[in-house]
Amino acid sequence: MNVDLSLLNPEIAISILGLAVLVLGLIIPKESRHGLGWLTALGLLGVLGLTISGWNNQGTLYHGMFIVDQYAIFFKITFLTAAFLVTLGSMRFVDDMGDQSEYYSMMLFATLGMMVLASAGDFITLYLGLELMTIAFIVLVCFKRLDGKSVEAGMKYVLLAGMSSAVLLYGLSLIYGVTGSVTISEVGRAVAVTPVPALILGLVMLVAGLGFKISAVPFHMWAPDIYEGAPTPVTSYLAVGSKAASFAILLRVFVAALPGIWANWTMLVAVLSAITIIVGNLVAIPQTNIKRLLAYSSIAQAGYILVGLVTASEQGIKGVMFYAFLYVFATIGAFTVATYFYNVTGSDEIKDYAGLSQRSPLMAVVMLICMLSMAGIPPLAGFVGKFYLFKTIVDNYLWLAFIGLIMSMVSVYYYLRVALVMYRDEPLDNSPINLSTPVAVTLIIAMVATLFIGIYPGPLSQVINMAAHSFFMH
Amino acid sequence: MVDFAMQHAWLVPLLPALAFVVIVFLTKPWQKLSALVAVAGIVGAFVFAALAAYGVFTHPEFTEGSLVYGVRWLSMPGLHINVGIMLDPTSAMMIFMVSLVSSLIFIYATGYMKGDPGFSVFFSYVSLFAASMLLLVLSSNLLEMFVGWELVGLCSYLLIGFYTHKISAREAAKKAFVTCRIADFGLLLGMLSLQIVFGTLDLPELAQKIAHFHQYTSAGVLTLIAVLVFLGPIGKSGQFPLHVWLPDAMEGPTPVSALIHAATMVVAGVYLVGRMLFLFSEIPSAMELVAITGAFTALFAATIAITQREIKRILAYSTVSQLGYMMLALGVGSLSASMFHMWTHAFFKALMFMGAGSVLTALHHKADVWEMGGLVKKMPITAWTFVVGGLAIAGIPPFAGFWSKDEILATALNSHHYVLFAMGAFTAFLTAFYMWRLIFLAFFGEENPANHPVESPWNMTVPLIILAALATVGGWVGTPWDNVWSQWIFFGEVEHAAPNYGVMIGSVILALAGIYLAYQLYYVDREKVKAKALAERYHGIYTLLFNKYYIDEIYLWFNHAIVDGSAKLFYLFDIYVVDGIIVNGLGAFTRLSGEGLRITETGRLQNYALVFFLGVLIIAVALAFSSPSAAGLLLGGVK
Amino acid sequence: MLSPWGAVFIFLAVGIVFGAGGIATSFLVHPRRQYASKYEPYECGMETIGPTWVQFKTSYFLYALLFVIFDVETIYLYPWAVKFQSLGLFAFIEMLVFIFILVVGLWYAWKEGALEWM
Repeated sequence: MNVDLSLLNPEIAISILGLAVLVLGLIIPKESRHGLGWLTALGLLGVLGLTISGWNNQGTLYHGMFIVDQYAIFFKITFLTAAFLVTLGSMRFVDDMGDQSEYYSMMLFATLGMMVLASAGDFITLYLGLELMTIAFIVLVCFKRLDGKSVEAGMKYVLLAGMSSAVLLYGLSLIYGVTGSVTISEVGRAVAVTPVPALILGLVMLVAGLGFKISAVPFHMWAPDIYEGAPTPVTSYLAVGSKAASFAILLRVFVAALPGIWANWTMLVAVLSAITIIVGNLVAIPQTNIKRLLAYSSIAQAGYILVGLVTASEQGIKGVMFYAFLYVFATIGAFTVATYFYNVTGSDEIKDYAGLSQRSPLMAVVMLICMLSMAGIPPLAGFVGKFYLFKTIVDNYLWLAFIGLIMSMVSVYYYLRVALVMYRDEPLDNSPINLSTPVAVTLIIAMVATLFIGIYPGPLSQVINMAAHSFFMH
Repeated sequence: MVDFAMQHAWLVPLLPALAFVVIVFLTKPWQKLSALVAVAGIVGAFVFAALAAYGVFTHPEFTEGSLVYGVRWLSMPGLHINVGIMLDPTSAMMIFMVSLVSSLIFIYATGYMKGDPGFSVFFSYVSLFAASMLLLVLSSNLLEMFVGWELVGLCSYLLIGFYTHKISAREAAKKAFVTCRIADFGLLLGMLSLQIVFGTLDLPELAQKIAHFHQYTSAGVLTLIAVLVFLGPIGKSGQFPLHVWLPDAMEGPTPVSALIHAATMVVAGVYLVGRMLFLFSEIPSAMELVAITGAFTALFAATIAITQREIKRILAYSTVSQLGYMMLALGVGSLSASMFHMWTHAFFKALMFMGAGSVLTALHHKADVWEMGGLVKKMPITAWTFVVGGLAIAGIPPFAGFWSKDEILATALNSHHYVLFAMGAFTAFLTAFYMWRLIFLAFFGEENPANHPVESPWNMTVPLIILAALATVGGWVGTPWDNVWSQWIFFGEVEHAAPNYGVMIGSVILALAGIYLAYQLYYVDREKVKAKALAERYHGIYTLLFNKYYIDEIYLWFNHAIVDGSAKLFYLFDIYVVDGIIVNGLGAFTRLSGEGLRITETGRLQNYALVFFLGVLIIAVALAFSSPSAAGLLLGGVK
Repeated sequence: MLSPWGAVFIFLAVGIVFGAGGIATSFLVHPRRQYASKYEPYECGMETIGPTWVQFKTSYFLYALLFVIFDVETIYLYPWAVKFQSLGLFAFIEMLVFIFILVVGLWYAWKEGALEWM
């Protein structure tokens, strides 16, 4: 029994943190629970540090059930960064909502689920991580128990997530039935050159189950309703963390377990990503609610990220990781603005953003930069990310690159519509919005990171090169 | 410390850039603090630059190769872009000169800009201006250089139009920006072509590859590239025919004019050509183009300067003319002479601009030299330092301008460019004449009773004195007898021409003749009868010169007739065809399809689940039909 | 010739026909007469008494959940206890951690009043 538990340090640390937050909520009186947000944020920062310090500590545990490679570590860094930023940006929101300890501990357990998912080396671990993440998110989505929309969203999420999990499990069991193994690396070896039909059916179900999580069209229907109904910080974490984690495992399963039948799924993924890009961007145009707008834009973003899977190459993986990382900052920046705006004005309608540039220049500029980054305008991070993604497919899937380009231009339309409202329209209410320090810090981090990655992508690109390389080492 | 400065030369542009950030975000409400931050930034940069320059000029191995370091900024198959620092004698000299002159100008500006409501903003802009120029100078990569280049252009736009309430200032800023933009487009095309042909924009690598350019491309293509690249400097360094913005650029505050004309902006073009000399020197015709443009601009601007009346406008045309000299030197193949002239010119031109600024403050911005006169009595420091500048630019030994101008003329002669040499020599005569016309009219003669000048405060005069000293001794590093300069800064082989006494004596005589003529016309003849008679007699040519050869009018006509006319045509096309059919049609289509798809979002769980399963089904069927092996599932597996 | 997967397909097809066929046949042949008891949820079952939308107390579910959790705990504890000697110290500590986490959950439930019958 030779288990190097140090590989599990981040997971252990975050479990302890989650339990501690839960227990502290029981011990300390209600009035003094404001500090729990800070504890969570600092704890997450600590775990982030721990994870980064283990960058070179790679290995597998429990006969390949749990893989700790730089690929997984990089995704963990992404989740932890996202969790940290969301926590920092939503403290006031959570304090208004109450039940801090439950909220933060659920947040931490969701993060734990994502981390397990990123490291999953077999289907059981995969399912474990996925459900841990999903259940925590279900609780978080309906966290505003007295708000009908939130409860409705929670209910929908339970049912639909359950359904998608069932489909995913069917898919996994079919694959197990064909290959006789649940370990990803062994499945990869066992998937024969001539695919058996059941394997294809399993593949389709896998696509559906994971496509649900990343909200790829046509499995995206849940996303707008739930994004709109859920508390805004949860929405942002759902859009970022859940999606990134699902991409992590999607790549792991498809590139490591199913490369043998690559020819069968590459076109499927390409078509799915094209539909997702088109539908996400087109439906975003008529939206009037900022959260729905961001929901559809995040569907479109998922479509872009999916492009990286098409070639199943190291470059594609690199593109996915790069985009997932920068997507954290852009999305959380935009959602944090929306959260804070809701706190102050109680509104999510785009028209109420009129004159935001006068009321709070920082909020307006962060919103603008984040949206432009999502639209892929140079020199912002989104441009570099899209560049890395589409570079992999121009040779064989030029049409897809073309669709991506056209739809990026379409997306500028609705992003700039928000910018126009913020900058051109006169505010109905002239009172300036004062930002609290943690929110301001979150916004500035998001903005600076988006700018920095866009202007100087070199270091991140090198780190990701290492991580993408480590993916193929097993 | 010296090693540190050399290894961390990036600090030189960073410090003023930091000053910019600090002023904009933090200290803007406090004017004095902002000025202090800006001055601290540039002086800090100067200290580093001086240390780095000391390091370079104490290591003879730098004449062989340069110190290049940097980081990979962008990397992908087929495209690697590095950003970094390239420290060699040329750039070391430049950062030293730029930061020194900028420091003095900044200090001077604390006096000149006193009481201006935009005081802090001004200092933030000039800090950024200096930072961009230093970045440009230190760049090891053409793309990086271009970033600095464009930043310089942006800052000049902001600063020329600094007095936003003045229409003329706004117009001048726009003119500067648009003119440079046209030129930069050429430069950008040139850079793109270089990247495509040679696959790199790194200066050292480019230099190596261009030396064997036949492996990559033909001489014709390279000529085209060289011409495109040269377009940029034509705009930025105010060469004919894109010089029109430079004289208008004096609409900005005077320290800005000094910065633009002496240290930062305009020399960027010359510097770029100097840096790219490995490209031009491969193409003799490109070299000729540079030389002829330079010589022509020098003469052309000098003739205009003779008739101008506004003090800063005269100086502006003299800058254009002197830049022409520098281009001429590059065109005849002497990086050494060109950089030498840039060095001396920075001192005396900054000196004269700041002197002019001092005069303008004293006279409440009355700019016409004919309405001045006798200022030497009330403003002795300004006047005498200006005289030093006048001697330097006229080329009287031992002042700085003499040595550098002499070097240019000698090089032109040695390379058998007799016509260009003659143009240069005649320009030297004209330069002495118009500059001393200005000096006699403004500082000597009878006082104008309408003026009540007072000498400027210490923070304006001290920089003047320092610059006057530099304008005196600055040229001694490059005397023909012991030419230290050209042993360090050269292109190709060390150029060491024997002292050419003929040229030396001749140019001094020409300069003295110019000064004497000005003396006769504008000092001895108190009523200026002769001068007026001359203008009367050659009325046509006087008007032509006074109106700057009608270049502005020609451009204006071109804009109105050709550009506006075709713009109207395109406008109609745009309205009816592009907007009417393509854009609105596309917009309507996307909006409608968005609305259509939106209907599918019903909010009902059953529908969502249905769509989900339909999706699964459709994919399964599609896959079954697309891949033969999977079709077995549906087709009963009949093999 | 039929491949093994052909059998699956036939099974599927027969299943669909069997299910859908029954419904379709009854749809085609059934007499179309409507009266009140046709609209009952269970045409031939018991009449429901009182409103059907009765709300159950949440405590039911909480109790049930807690019961399930400890049920599952027992399932894990049992094999461990059987093999206790051979599994050794490491497994013992692991089990303590496991129980500790569950105890924290119980503590939480208790403190939040899940065990009170209100």
